[in-house]
Amino acid sequence: MATLRTESLSKRFGGVEAVRGLTLAVEPGQITGLIGPNGAGKTTMVNLITGMLKASGGRILFGTSDITALSPSAVARLGIARTFQNIRLLKEASVLENIVVGFHCQEQTGLLANLLGLPAARRERRRFTAAARELTVRFAMEALADRPAGTLSYGHQRRIEMMRALAMRPSLLLLDEPVAGMNDVEANELGAIFRSLADDGMAVLLIEHNMRFVTALCDTLYVVSSGQMIASGPPGIVMRDPTVIAAYLGDDADA
Amino acid sequence: MTGWLLAYLPLLASAILDCGFAFSQYVVLRAGVFSVATAGFASLGAYAGALLTMRLGLPPALSLIGSLVVGAAAGALLSIPLARLRGVFQAIATLAFVQIVLSVSLFVEPVTGGALGLNGIPQAVQLWHLVIFLLVLLYLLHALGGSSIGRAFDAARQDETVAVALGISVVRYHALAFTLSGGIAGFTGGLYAFNRYSLVPDQFGFAMLVASLAAVVLGGRISVLGPVVGTAVLALLPELARGFAEQRYLLHGALLMLVIIFLPDGIVDTAKFRWRGAVRGNAAH
Repeated sequence: MATLRTESLSKRFGGVEAVRGLTLAVEPGQITGLIGPNGAGKTTMVNLITGMLKASGGRILFGTSDITALSPSAVARLGIARTFQNIRLLKEASVLENIVVGFHCQEQTGLLANLLGLPAARRERRRFTAAARELTVRFAMEALADRPAGTLSYGHQRRIEMMRALAMRPSLLLLDEPVAGMNDVEANELGAIFRSLADDGMAVLLIEHNMRFVTALCDTLYVVSSGQMIASGPPGIVMRDPTVIAAYLGDDADA
Repeated sequence: MTGWLLAYLPLLASAILDCGFAFSQYVVLRAGVFSVATAGFASLGAYAGALLTMRLGLPPALSLIGSLVVGAAAGALLSIPLARLRGVFQAIATLAFVQIVLSVSLFVEPVTGGALGLNGIPQAVQLWHLVIFLLVLLYLLHALGGSSIGRAFDAARQDETVAVALGISVVRYHALAFTLSGGIAGFTGGLYAFNRYSLVPDQFGFAMLVASLAAVVLGGRISVLGPVVGTAVLALLPELARGFAEQRYLLHGALLMLVIIFLPDGIVDTAKFRWRGAVRGNAAH
């Protein structure tokens, strides 16, 4: 299991500096929270780490390797999985099929075996389908496994995204607002799953708006505002920081 | 009765060849590549096969392997400069490729025979060869569809961002789709050459491009049976509507527009979605 580090990471879109020199670490076995008001640059960070955006400055290290310039698919193959803030599923495909796509990096049968439909390729498919079914049990969705993903409710679609990310057996999981729009019961169910993943040694980076959820769940918190780090540390201390309170509730001086 | 059947055998042969070209189109569309290069690959494969036998004296079976290799190589090469293009830009670039192949086959007269084409190609491919070819191709594409390649194609088509986030190298799978498309069209082109005695450049122009695309749009671009049904409809339509022989292309166009408006997933895929929906609906009640 490897630690993710960003060192003075920056991203400019034209004249806008969306991320300004952010340095953070996501440790294995922990849930690290990244919070901040809308437009703070949180999703930009996820896109930078996963290679979907190219950094304007700074470095991203995963374990001992520098992944700053890697393509998104190469980053994924190193064991970094993500979910999307705006849910992105293969809507035509069933729940199981959506999860099975996540096993892509673990495929071992060759091109020819797949092209010719050899038994090895079919065995692998069965193995992945069985593993996908196990995931649906963990997320309490086994009854919906064969439904087309596009027809399910918002909360269920979020879960499918998480199952698909977990199918990659990642060592780092980036969750972009995973409980947005969910009630406390649903959120806490997922929170328990995230905790068990971290306990198994996975590094989890959680991006969230729901303060109560983040404070209860995270081991370490980073707070960003306008692309800059304004506080970091254990949640209990960070949440009492006057700069953080000002960023979230507004500054008295502005009023 | 037998006489009636015999009269339709050439139609069957040409429908199978059209189906091969439609499958070349199907493979790229399934992977989310809007390539229309099939007619160009078909031309390269057809001329390569015919010339290998006529000029170099290779047996047709070997020449057909040549057709396959030339088509696949053309697909693989074409995928390199087009790797960064998407959607309509891919269509325009591949349309240009078809035009280039057409011009080259017209102007390199000493090799291709120019506008007069190649004549007297030995008729080595019989109907039963074509039937076997179609069955093998159907099996291969069916196997491919259920394999990891098919899953990667489906992911790349539906959402490229998701595909790369899952570690699927979209560039690599698009290149594979181009290569398969080129190989299928090249080989089918070779079969065409050895079934028809003669080749002229115009056979591999805009009309073939539209026909291959129409077969896939009509039949469906996900299910393997889509292109078969699409080709069958397009082959039978002029026979059923003999009285409208003059307005054949008008009929073609009208049918395509109706399908695009009312069955945007094509006949087979729409039927499949409806069927799945109906089964689920019943299960829910």
